Amino acid sequence: MTTELNFEPADVLIIGAGASGATVAWNLAETKMRIVCLEQGGWTNPAQYPTTGRDWESRAQSDFSINPNRRQQPGDYPVNDDDSPISVANFNGVGGGTVLYAGHYPRFHPSDFKVNTLDGVGDDWPIDYETLEPFYAENDRMTGVSGLAGDPAYPAKQSLMPPLPMGKSGTKIAEGFNQKGWHWWPSDSAIATQPYNGRDQCINLGACLHGCAQGAKASTDITYWPEAIRAGVELRTWCRVKEINVDDEGMANGVTYFDEEGVEQFQAAHVVIMACNGVGTPRILLNSTSDQFPDGLANTSGLVGKNLMLHPYASINGIFADELDGYRGPHDSIWSQEFYETAEERGFVRGFTYEFTRGRGVLATALTGVNSGRIPWGQGHHEAYRRLHNRIAGMVSICEDLPEEHNTVTLDPLLKDAHGIPAPKMTYTISENSQKMLDFSVERASEVLLAAGALDLIVESPIAVGGWHLMGTARMGTDPSQSVVNEWGRSHDVRNLFIVDGSIFVTSAGVNPTRTIQTLALYISDQIKKRLTNLFD
Amino acid sequence: MTDTIATDSPFTEDELRVLRSLAGMVIPPNEEYRVPGADDDLIFADVITTAQGNETAVRQALQLAITVEQELGATLSATNTHAYDRLEGRSELAPLVAVILQCYYRDDRVIVSLGMEARPPFPKGFQVEQGDWSMLEAVQQRGKIWRDV
Repeated sequence: MTTELNFEPADVLIIGAGASGATVAWNLAETKMRIVCLEQGGWTNPAQYPTTGRDWESRAQSDFSINPNRRQQPGDYPVNDDDSPISVANFNGVGGGTVLYAGHYPRFHPSDFKVNTLDGVGDDWPIDYETLEPFYAENDRMTGVSGLAGDPAYPAKQSLMPPLPMGKSGTKIAEGFNQKGWHWWPSDSAIATQPYNGRDQCINLGACLHGCAQGAKASTDITYWPEAIRAGVELRTWCRVKEINVDDEGMANGVTYFDEEGVEQFQAAHVVIMACNGVGTPRILLNSTSDQFPDGLANTSGLVGKNLMLHPYASINGIFADELDGYRGPHDSIWSQEFYETAEERGFVRGFTYEFTRGRGVLATALTGVNSGRIPWGQGHHEAYRRLHNRIAGMVSICEDLPEEHNTVTLDPLLKDAHGIPAPKMTYTISENSQKMLDFSVERASEVLLAAGALDLIVESPIAVGGWHLMGTARMGTDPSQSVVNEWGRSHDVRNLFIVDGSIFVTSAGVNPTRTIQTLALYISDQIKKRLTNLFD
Repeated sequence: MTDTIATDSPFTEDELRVLRSLAGMVIPPNEEYRVPGADDDLIFADVITTAQGNETAVRQALQLAITVEQELGATLSATNTHAYDRLEGRSELAPLVAVILQCYYRDDRVIVSLGMEARPPFPKGFQVEQGDWSMLEAVQQRGKIWRDV
């Protein structure tokens, strides 16, 4: 059955059906407004996730790669990341990045919103933790968060489900932290450890980063979207937005997009909400030029695409004598925020989180071993492989990246997507502060792993493929000359244009951003609901 | 894993010969662990199919190997120590080695030899022990570490 599309003006048009787009769609649905969401990719069938087949690790290198330039699926667009030591990672489809994320689900800390006041760097956010706390709680309920209440690194927060298992690997790493006398705690994870809202519990498939066939991981295609659609939101897949259009008054009046057949369409709208991540959002804004906005939409400040933050990661793993969890179990289990807050004697400001990594699959072990010279070619291969098999565990450090205007997303002068739309180009360098933080994190993690009994260490810093977190390129603020959107997500320049994704982050914190992205999406959509009568004033 | 036969492949006979030799050099069979080498018929058929997905890089690697073989004046094999000296660890060969590892470490016989079941992770999943959360007592005793604002 073909559904006739309605191109009459939508009350609200959302671009992107990922973490933030799904959240804002669900939250606005109760208004009974006509809400349309355009998503450039499609639905992913869980029965086709890699873990349903024997070649699941290989598929993580191809059609389920985190890198769109390698994945090259119909929903993807190319990103020129040649001028960045960290390559882009994303997923384009319903659920967005939550389809391929690990489910690490930390909140920001109160201090993360006051970086300038506390440490004299970056800028303070125009909102604070206390304001967002009820929205964090609401998002937690919709997502289903496992963990353990009482983490001394956080203000009190509820845990909805028991934590993920520590297993042999988590126990080993925890022993190391205890020997050092350093903080660790069960991670907050967007992974169900018991049946939750129609989702089944985790069965330790060990491949969270490649899509959860079990449905235990909270990707928004199985959390927010089903409820939003039941509430009347229209989700149109395979629709790639070319530009946002404006009327003579400088207000957004709809978007031009290419449909599944590649036909250019125009969808009119009274309100446009962008939810396309820290690369996709500036790309569309910069592509939306007009006589009124020759430098791109919402860009009077000149800050669209600037202040890109990525979270440089280091990976520090130990090789142990005993067999650990290896390929079994979710990546998440415990974290440490021993070094989260600024301490001057470390030589850098701000801090980082350690997130435990449980182990790796058979192929990943082989690749690690051969590429690092630990597994030779020839007869020694088999014995050397078995010394690594199920014996690698460790952690990553996720380092707070501070905003710098020279780190940018711009339009590539040559590269275009399949529809001929100019593609984004990332230009990024790791700052001196971030590099010092990475180095420090490698040294301290090495101490933990050696204390835990590691025989050898495997270090990668930065993780070259780790550009998962795309933030800061349309920052939030009260000063229109220093920010792109105001303190409730509305463009300073275009009064019916909102941004709800990681672009609006003022600073990055030292944690994964998804929980805060979704919380902000709830907060901003709540502001929209409260201001419906005077939204454009 | 595959029903491709060598004659379906885009690689020349010479390239296929060298590819098979390299597969056997990287991972030879082992009696102790009862595992085939990567030049085993089934695994090698998978290698040929998979290599087509990264044909350009694999072909470049094979050309390098052929050049080395010509320079050595002897065919590549697991008994040719000079070939190991010249080829092992070369970054140009990394895409090809990755294909060999991919195919080898999804072969049922290899998986079983590692003590694993030859099956996909889903739907059966795996058991992971919960762990002893009393290990947290030392952390709890330290008290709050988050920063007031």
